Amino acid sequence: MAGPQIRTPRLRLIALAAPGLAALGFFFILPLAVVAGEAFAGDAFARFLASADLIGALGRSLLLGIGAGGVSLVVGIAVALHLSRLPPARRALLQLVIALPLTFSGLIIAYGFILVLGRAGFVTLLLAEIGVDPGQVAALLYGPAGLVMAYAYYLTPRVVLMLLPVFANFDQRQIDAAESMGAGRARALIDILAPQVAPTAFAAFCLVAAVAIGTYGTALALVGTQLDILPLRLYSMVADAGADFPLAAATSIVLLATCSLLMGVAEVVAARAESRHV
Amino acid sequence: MSIAVDHLGFRYGAGTAGLDDVTLEVGPGELCAVIGPSGCGKSTLLKLVAGFLLPQAGRIAIGGTDAGSLPPRARDLGIVFQNYALFPHMSALDNVAYPLKLRGVGRAERRRRAGEMLERARLSAEADRHPAQLSGGQQQRVALSRALVFRPRALLLDEPLSALDAAHRADMRDEIRSVQREFGIATLHVTHDQEEALSIADRVAVMRGGRLQQHASPRELYDAPVNRFVAGFVGHANLLDGTVTAPGVVTTAIGPLACDTRTQTIGAAVVALFRPEAVRPAPAGGGTNRFAGAVLRDRFLGSLRRFDVAVGDGVVMVETASREAVAAIEIPPASIRLLPPETTNPRGS
Repeated sequence: MAGPQIRTPRLRLIALAAPGLAALGFFFILPLAVVAGEAFAGDAFARFLASADLIGALGRSLLLGIGAGGVSLVVGIAVALHLSRLPPARRALLQLVIALPLTFSGLIIAYGFILVLGRAGFVTLLLAEIGVDPGQVAALLYGPAGLVMAYAYYLTPRVVLMLLPVFANFDQRQIDAAESMGAGRARALIDILAPQVAPTAFAAFCLVAAVAIGTYGTALALVGTQLDILPLRLYSMVADAGADFPLAAATSIVLLATCSLLMGVAEVVAARAESRHV
Repeated sequence: MSIAVDHLGFRYGAGTAGLDDVTLEVGPGELCAVIGPSGCGKSTLLKLVAGFLLPQAGRIAIGGTDAGSLPPRARDLGIVFQNYALFPHMSALDNVAYPLKLRGVGRAERRRRAGEMLERARLSAEADRHPAQLSGGQQQRVALSRALVFRPRALLLDEPLSALDAAHRADMRDEIRSVQREFGIATLHVTHDQEEALSIADRVAVMRGGRLQQHASPRELYDAPVNRFVAGFVGHANLLDGTVTAPGVVTTAIGPLACDTRTQTIGAAVVALFRPEAVRPAPAGGGTNRFAGAVLRDRFLGSLRRFDVAVGDGVVMVETASREAVAAIEIPPASIRLLPPETTNPRGS
């Protein structure tokens, strides 16, 4: 396809790329520049750093990211390990089912959890039959634990999708080899399987933690603005009349930087692991 | 140390594949190759000896002690896997040192001993490379070093050369043989490549359908196969169904063959075996076992010429160094061996 006779003139290439570039410029670079300009213009960053409230919110966001990322990772590893041992046809079917939550919006997921575990939720009422206080169940849902649960629900499939190829391509004979050399099953898994899965597992963790830190739809629907995390703080800032836009801009940049940093780390770790094993 | 299996049996689920009453002994320092077509049970035999499968019948002894119920880690066997199963996240040196690490050998000592093994395999320069950075032959040598570094009681080789190209295969074959000799270790070598088996093994076990057909030296296997299957599987063979019609005469599709029939009775169905290189081009005319025929396919193979001759209702394969035109062939009676007939059709060769 790369023959000289079909070489596209440079002008036509630019014309073809123009709509995409325009969209990128108008809807990403321009707003980002405006926000960045606003954030860096005055003393917004200094005020952000001086606000114990906002720093606290950032910390809670990080904790939420670590918690949701951790739960997703543990569940995701177990699911991916199981899937990798299934015959391809059944694996493909289950993969489809597992990927379904990825298509739901955060709001729908929150609504689903409310229907199941809310004050009048299906499971809550069932638990009430055996004496569990519905108020306690609901309190659990409408707090940090509930958020971790809801986030893990739609982040786990991402972990599974990332880890499944690693487990599926892992040559089981390596474990056989280690065992023949004198390793027990657990020792073989720790020495041989774990190090090979670790880079991808870490990358998956970073990725889902970044998503959990930055997202707000599910959180807003489940806990309103009661839970003091950075995305919800930001939501309140821009939703209020007479908002402090420079501070909101600085908060946005901090949030964006945190998530981008995590994603960057994930990319680097994944690329490095890949380059070594090819 | 030796490997001995005694009336070993294993069946996968309800299928017929598996192993059926196999008895085999590999003596100390001996290299035994196990060959046979796909599904003959050779890999099952290896897995049973390694401990990846547990036998349903029979016994396995390694170094004289019963090992049939031991887990793989307690059998103290060095194994080279078909695809080597090197650990991709470890350097060549760490791969070789890993069995020593499992045995609690200190870091400095195990690195020294692993380094020695790599030096022996001419891989000192590659010690710090990861498997992905090594050639197939180098990976093979790392795998062999890793399997021997802890001085195991016996060595198992699972198709160790099948992943190599033809050019490297012969070299590695000789290397495996010399290392195995040097360590003086009982070795079970599973392969589908009969040339590989014949060239390096002290004895070869031929398997088919889960059963051991013959266990003998390469020469005996070639010269005195016990049945039609072994004759056809090991080397090229002319195998003609026939009947003993008179003392010293077997009637076949190509005509009456003069040969030694003293072990047979008149009227017995037999299979006459003679190797292609035993058949000689001859001038047309009369003579014992001399047959006129038309050459069907003539293949020039360099040092050798292999051709098929249509004789009567049959075809005879001939190997010769002669480049002359052929009008007739002669089959020396002493080169003909009579085998028991077999109803099932073995893999031809």
